[in-house]
Amino acid sequence: MDGKKYYLTKQRLQELEKEHNSLISFEKSKLLGEEAPKIFESEDMNPEFLSFQEDMSFLRSRIKELESILSNHELIKNPPKDKKNIIGLGAKILVEIDGKKDEFTITGTLEANPSLGKISNESPVGRALIGHKAGDAVVVSSPIKTVYKIKKIKYQSS
Amino acid sequence: MENLLKFFTEIGKLKKMPRRGWVIRDIKNPESIAEHTFRVAIMGWFLGEEKKKDFDIEKIIKMALIHDLCEVYAGDTTPYDSILPKGKKKRRELMKTWPRFSEKEKKNLADKKYKKEKEGLEKLIKDLPPKLKHQVKMLWLDYERGLSPEGRFFKQTDRVESFLQAVEYWETYKKPPQKPYWDQAKELYDDPVLLDFINNMDKRFHHTKKPKE
Repeated sequence: MDGKKYYLTKQRLQELEKEHNSLISFEKSKLLGEEAPKIFESEDMNPEFLSFQEDMSFLRSRIKELESILSNHELIKNPPKDKKNIIGLGAKILVEIDGKKDEFTITGTLEANPSLGKISNESPVGRALIGHKAGDAVVVSSPIKTVYKIKKIKYQSS
Repeated sequence: MENLLKFFTEIGKLKKMPRRGWVIRDIKNPESIAEHTFRVAIMGWFLGEEKKKDFDIEKIIKMALIHDLCEVYAGDTTPYDSILPKGKKKRRELMKTWPRFSEKEKKNLADKKYKKEKEGLEKLIKDLPPKLKHQVKMLWLDYERGLSPEGRFFKQTDRVESFLQAVEYWETYKKPPQKPYWDQAKELYDDPVLLDFINNMDKRFHHTKKPKE
């Protein structure tokens, strides 16, 4: 990691903490030659973690990555009431682009997944939208201009 | 050895499988999935060298080589598939803009794609020696889920390769329409190395003529 801050939603932070704790206890049991911890048999647990059973190097590198994230994170908090009409990290926005409606959530880079509508605050569109209000039309420059008309801004109830 | 032979025969099919994104855009003799894999592996390596010192280049190259293997059985999918009209004219119109969906629709499409590709990969690697099987699966999950800095970087590099190919086709055939690619790029990329790279693409390809759509 390069010492940068990782912005995380409360939900994502809890998921990463849970994953970290599970992997640490799993690693311990592996070192002691014990069976896989019960949490891996739970339906709540992502079954993909089971793959770590076969390879300690993947397990170790994921634990290292999680530790780096957890020690360099900053929780995304809702803005004060008078700023809830402004786009910032964690804002869920309804936009109109080329006459079609789309929904985005502005996230930190770790949670960004444009296929799911989660746009990184470090992407050109994320950067351009931050600070704007409903009713604004934001032009994102590229060889062909695209206008993002902001229709609605919402923050999750905390 | 018999299992490896069978595996190599299966993945050889990717050399002849055209990428669906070009087929639906009526590109003549479109590149195959294996051709995309070749260049994105080099791009991941060379652009990865621009990143910080402890970036694992070997991991990126391996990830690049395996990231589309699932398509032997899962096939190639595009974001347009669920809304693709039958007529050529309507289809051409649709390709002028990036498809937009509600949050729920995006989740459904992503879940469906993930499930199909995961099943395809598992079917393909089921008879590989355990160590290789495990490595391929973990690299694919890293790419899909962004479990490491390399996984997150390569996920974006993969799209940059397709973007570069789209611009190259545009230069030759004056299609596909460029707007959806630029729109997608500005929403998808946040890696400084890749953002710098696409700015260079803009300068190189559009210094005399900008696309109109």
